[in-house]
Amino acid sequence: MQEAMIFPQCRIVPMRLLKPDTTKRLLNEIVGVPGICRILLNGQNIPLNVPYGPARGMKNTTNLRKKIEIAGNSVDLHVQVGTITVEIEDRAVVGKIRTICDAFFTDFSYYIQEGKFMKTSPSMVDYARYGPSADPSVIGLVDPKRKEQPAFIRMPDERICGEGDF
Amino acid sequence: MSVFAARGIFNMARTPQYGPGTSVVAINRRKQMDPSHKLTIMRHISDEDIVLLLGHRAPGERFRSVHPPIAEQQEPACPMRKLVRPTEGAKNGDRVRYVQFADSMFNAPCQPYQRTYAEMYRFRGIDPGTLSGRQIVECRERDLEQYCRLLIETEMFDPALVSLRGATVHGHSLRLSEDGMQFDALQRCLLGDDGVVRYVKDQIGLPLNRMVEVGKPLDSAWLKEHSTIFHSLVGTALRDDREYVEYLQRIHTLRTKYGFMPREA
Repeated sequence: MQEAMIFPQCRIVPMRLLKPDTTKRLLNEIVGVPGICRILLNGQNIPLNVPYGPARGMKNTTNLRKKIEIAGNSVDLHVQVGTITVEIEDRAVVGKIRTICDAFFTDFSYYIQEGKFMKTSPSMVDYARYGPSADPSVIGLVDPKRKEQPAFIRMPDERICGEGDF
Repeated sequence: MSVFAARGIFNMARTPQYGPGTSVVAINRRKQMDPSHKLTIMRHISDEDIVLLLGHRAPGERFRSVHPPIAEQQEPACPMRKLVRPTEGAKNGDRVRYVQFADSMFNAPCQPYQRTYAEMYRFRGIDPGTLSGRQIVECRERDLEQYCRLLIETEMFDPALVSLRGATVHGHSLRLSEDGMQFDALQRCLLGDDGVVRYVKDQIGLPLNRMVEVGKPLDSAWLKEHSTIFHSLVGTALRDDREYVEYLQRIHTLRTKYGFMPREA
């Protein structure tokens, strides 16, 4: 199994749940920060179909679940975003993220926590799902039971991870 | 003059207390529970809109019945039946239907337990089911529509923080959405650009043929003054109401020491 490098992590917690368009605007600003390895969006699931009750199985018409464009890449958003966990190369990147968030969250407050919020080593379930040669970049990003893969965001060439001035 | 009259016992009228506390939350709880207190009407909703929101029958459709009207059937000789006056729904043999509300903990004007207390004092012939984040009440269909009017039109409802949810109710304990609406995975109601909340689905999540307006969300200052839930961050903290804390501690102590037979030494 490939050894995963352990990077620092931080978590952005807005005081309100974010709509897809707001998430898109925020992420488009954050992904431009050099030194970000992975981003995990957590929030309340928006089901594709009505899960319970007499209307069970009917299509759930909502504007909370949609595809958003992040740096030219399409991301299928399944949740109403509540927290954004960011894995970074260096703790100094937190300051850059904080600067963006200070300017972004003007209507309501937010806070940033530093700590460990994503799995950094494979669990037994990961081993059962991915086997001994699991890609370390996937560990902790998605529930191993889900069929969907995480979205990979390719940045334009001018943005080189870990370098450049912000 | 007897001893009792001399002590004024005969003239001692009992006044229900409804609940303890000196905070604004406790006062609001008592107001909602007290059937003699007239709740403020905040909005108006038509009969047809209530029928649409509940989703139990089509507007204009007759009430379906599960038994003949009481007047037409032979009632057994029972003193209790003579004593208890049937509600309109029971009189006509209506089906038992339900309405369920989910209330946000961010200063929603009513709360599941409070809802049950208030309904038990104010309504007849109901069967409430109380959970931490939602409350369901079952009763005869035409009674339900009448009770729903009070629950939606008065200060017990806020279009943003209280919503009708028959199923998929999660939202009570979550942060609000950025527009101030309680989270709803089925997005039954939407806040329009004009600031009015409109239901686009009925309480179980079936799309409505037309939108149902329930008015504008109330402002945060009003909600804080009229909330019935303690919240240390956005509202009134329970610890600030010493009388309430004392009452809760007393109940806890009695239940712990004596179980269901509380006796103070």
